Amino acid sequence: MPAACPSPVRRPDRRSARRPVRRTLTAAVAAAAALALTTLSACSGTAHPKAGTADAAYRLTAKTPAAAGPVNSFTWSLFAEPTSIDYAYSFDYPPNQILANVCESLLRWNPDLTTSPGLATSYTHPTPTSWVYQIRSGVRFHDGTTLTADDVVASLRRNLDPEVASNWAYPFRNVKSIDRTGPSQVTVSLKSPDSTFNKYLAASPGTVESAATLKKDGKDYGNPAKGVNCTGPFSFGSWTSGQSLVLKRFDGYWDAKLKAKAGEVKFVFLSDPTTRVNAFQTGEVDGGWMVPPHAYAQLKASQAGTLYFGRNTTVASEIVNNLKGPLGDARVRQALLMAIDRKGIVKAGAGGVADVADSLVSSNTWSGTPDSTVKGLLKALPSYPYDPVKAKALAARAGVTGQKVVIASSPLDSQTTIITQAVAQAAKAIGLNPQIDTISADKYTALFTDAAARKGIDLFLTFWYTSITDPLDMYGSLQTGAFSNYGNWSNPQFDAAIDAATVAQDPAAVAAATGKAQQTAMEQLPWLPLYTEPVSVFLGKRITGVQPSIAYLYYPWAAEIGARG
Amino acid sequence: MTAALATTAVDGARRAGRFGALAVSVLRRLLTMAVTLLVTSFVVFSSLYLAPGDPVSFLVRGRSPSPQEIAAIREQYGFNDPFPERYWHWLQGVLQGDLGRSYLFHQSVDQVLWSRLPASMLLVGTAALMIAVVGVGAGIVGALRRGTRTDTAVLLMVTVGAAVPSFVAAIMLRSVLGVRLGWFPTIGNGTGLLDRMHHVVLPAIALSVTFMALVTRVTRSAMLDELRREHVEVALSRGMSKSSVVRRHVLRNALGPIVTVSGLLVSGMLVSTAIVETAFGMSGVGSLLVQAVNEMDFQVVQAIVLLVVAAFVVVNTLVDLVYPLIDPRVAAAAGSAR
Repeated sequence: MPAACPSPVRRPDRRSARRPVRRTLTAAVAAAAALALTTLSACSGTAHPKAGTADAAYRLTAKTPAAAGPVNSFTWSLFAEPTSIDYAYSFDYPPNQILANVCESLLRWNPDLTTSPGLATSYTHPTPTSWVYQIRSGVRFHDGTTLTADDVVASLRRNLDPEVASNWAYPFRNVKSIDRTGPSQVTVSLKSPDSTFNKYLAASPGTVESAATLKKDGKDYGNPAKGVNCTGPFSFGSWTSGQSLVLKRFDGYWDAKLKAKAGEVKFVFLSDPTTRVNAFQTGEVDGGWMVPPHAYAQLKASQAGTLYFGRNTTVASEIVNNLKGPLGDARVRQALLMAIDRKGIVKAGAGGVADVADSLVSSNTWSGTPDSTVKGLLKALPSYPYDPVKAKALAARAGVTGQKVVIASSPLDSQTTIITQAVAQAAKAIGLNPQIDTISADKYTALFTDAAARKGIDLFLTFWYTSITDPLDMYGSLQTGAFSNYGNWSNPQFDAAIDAATVAQDPAAVAAATGKAQQTAMEQLPWLPLYTEPVSVFLGKRITGVQPSIAYLYYPWAAEIGARG
Repeated sequence: MTAALATTAVDGARRAGRFGALAVSVLRRLLTMAVTLLVTSFVVFSSLYLAPGDPVSFLVRGRSPSPQEIAAIREQYGFNDPFPERYWHWLQGVLQGDLGRSYLFHQSVDQVLWSRLPASMLLVGTAALMIAVVGVGAGIVGALRRGTRTDTAVLLMVTVGAAVPSFVAAIMLRSVLGVRLGWFPTIGNGTGLLDRMHHVVLPAIALSVTFMALVTRVTRSAMLDELRREHVEVALSRGMSKSSVVRRHVLRNALGPIVTVSGLLVSGMLVSTAIVETAFGMSGVGSLLVQAVNEMDFQVVQAIVLLVVAAFVVVNTLVDLVYPLIDPRVAAAAGSAR
């Protein structure tokens, strides 16, 4: 089943995390427009009270001031070098934020988290198990050849090919076949209905590459020597392994609204958070996503540029990895969450720029579902306000006093250290015997993919985002047997709700079933939600125009960046 | 080992003339090197093979593949083959100049290595130069001015330098000379020779600071040992100029230990570059090795380890070869021993 994607890991400061994003979709063609109207509560200009303090607040910015004109080039920092820019292996911040500008998907995930047509001008859903896509005409690949339905078929099919071993095989798990059914029409047939499949086509799984290039480059496709050949506003320029990757403006781009304003974007790979912040301040780098929270204050005060926050689908959670130990009893998990000073964590670990989480998904992930429905679902959820005394009593009833819990941590970013300390404190407060196991950042990343690396660990931290605007992306990964269900949690009611949400055709039914799964998850707490945080982006004083949003993983955000007036 | 090899070299020289001796000696060393590399490769290959964790779990990156898919991946990468077979395949490839293919970077290993090596070589080369010039220089000055303020300053530098780990040096250099004063770039490798040199200065200082201190200390005490020797005192009392005595007797004799220590330090530096590379956003072999180990990219780890071992063996072979040249006593002793 499912595994959803894995995701991630920690945040920004290091290599890590992979997460997928998703969008909510409605069943048919017209839906996209409707979605655009249902925006999310967290829009531009919304002030969020800073947790823990009443004075300050952070603001979300929907769009930074528009660019005054073109710019020759700008330099952007990434926290790690991609190992490939083949979309099939792009499942992490670094490759996805590059590819978002180079390769396009059948649908487009917008910064306001809606979807709109991309390389498919429209789609229909004639039966519960089929999706039919109309391919846009007049689109050219960077090598000048014209996009055809065959390119779409070849590109999507790679996700089914075990030889390719695509990181995106999960969204295609219910796919039976992908075929050209007209001169510019592609039909996907499913083995069983799947309410998320189409949404994924706005992210990496829907990427379209030239079939000829795929064939010609073979195993070298997407590596530093060959690069890629897609249809986006920028084309692959060069990749100096270990150093930088350069994109060039593509003059033959089809969408006049998103023609790139910059002639060139140079991505540099800087894994050390302090190195990145220094480079922002010296002007050696013009900007970057995922600013280390410890530098928020410093960068806000800086003359070198401006720090912005945008809409996100990320939740920081403590994953319960071992259900055979003291945390196997749901009461102990509830007690632990109640004993964690989450407001304190937001203040100390996230620079105040975050909100205590009420569930495992950010409210943004529900956009597309009517507000009243979402509010109702949230209201029904159990909440776990900070109450160490009550928590201790609850844990005592479970009879786990004095038992050991191991919490994994990594020394290379301050957030993880702070959160881990707070969780250890909470464990102690409820009578457990916490032990912090500090491991290297790379090994930490391995926790998310390697069962052997997780052995002996009871709890570890993740910053988990969804690759589509749909809570099912998160909750599906907690189904019995799912790859990312690290603790092997299993709950028949929960599984049934997920299955129901997946096969349902009516958006209201999908939301209801998903809500039911969420209710169970929040009662049972296979993961302990800590806080939600916005996307952060720093823009140096030379450039402006970007729309800060988690959609930067799939939306051509760099095309909008130009010179500041 | 040094003495034994030197003995052989001298022995050969007497029988077959200088050229023959050199040839025999070089041949012998190449053979030793090949055997060392072979043994190392086997040890590394088997340790990776026995290490916990499964490379497949890295390849599937978080999805839950079907058993068929896992089987296909295992087949494709040869993970099912028995260990000796995998090792043999790899060895055959290496002998034909094929280091294999990195499954992490989707590129041949030599492409991956070539993209990182130049930066590391420049970094290590510059650091080595600094060690030789500054480290040896300061040691000589300290010894010649023993007990003076200059010597105290050198000793202080040594103490501080040896105590500063390279990551601390990197942070300090970066924030003061890079961010605050803006004299040096804080990130990247640079392009073109001058720009590259400009980029490499701070990382090279950070990398070499501890090693410089060690070399200064060794140089200073080796010089002092020599200065105390009878023949030096005799030479000086006979009225020979101090500078010529220092050059011809003291420095020349002290050079042995200095060169030996420097050789070891420099060849070891190739793997200690990771931290400095990260701090200055450079890309080199050090950070590549760390990444490859963690992601179980066997082929890349294997290639880097071989490279480092080769560098080690080569540098130390060179040290052994020049040893008799700089210290005739070694050659003489070896000769009379026969």
